[in-house]
Amino acid sequence: MDPRDRDRTKTKQFRKKFLFRKKKFCKFCEEKIPYIDYKDVRLLQGFTPERGKIFPRRISGTCAKHQRELMQAIKRARNIALLPFTAD
Amino acid sequence: MVKYESIFVADPAATDDEVSGLVKGFEESITAASGKVLKVERWGKRRLAYRVGRHEDGNYTLILMECPPAAARELERRYRMNDRILKYLTVRIDKDIPETPPVAAAASTEAPAETGETE
Repeated sequence: MDPRDRDRTKTKQFRKKFLFRKKKFCKFCEEKIPYIDYKDVRLLQGFTPERGKIFPRRISGTCAKHQRELMQAIKRARNIALLPFTAD
Repeated sequence: MVKYESIFVADPAATDDEVSGLVKGFEESITAASGKVLKVERWGKRRLAYRVGRHEDGNYTLILMECPPAAARELERRYRMNDRILKYLTVRIDKDIPETPPVAAAASTEAPAETGETE
């Protein structure tokens, strides 16, 4: 096989894999939530799946600024037992 | 004067009157230190996210206040001394936050809505 052909098929696969992925967006920027409240358990729960870990930015798409605030809020909520540290 | 938001979790076995008594005592300590209580919100009994001691539930109360830092320290000292109080958290409020609707006691225990990556 011509090496250039191989390259082409590779690009094709690459496109298939990554091109049609849903664009991530920051939920807080989008909805213009000015303050991430640690008391809003419902909201925070969406970012602490199953095990109770904090959803990473690379997956949730949250922007850096809001991820920081989110982290703060989740940690506060954990402190007063509104959210679990771990789920067993 | 600084704005603070303080939450304490009382023993679920404590009666309503008992918690009211506690709140009254705290309010007095704040006003005595020339502070001002802006809002008291009683959430009532809620399921805790994890066990605290041997308790599964807790009685939540939120106090929003404006007082000198010393009064907030005093409030926390009182929390610590009271053995009816399981947990507390005081947060300084820097920016103006919008009025949040009272946290409904009914929405206390719900399975996490979203599922994430499996490990």
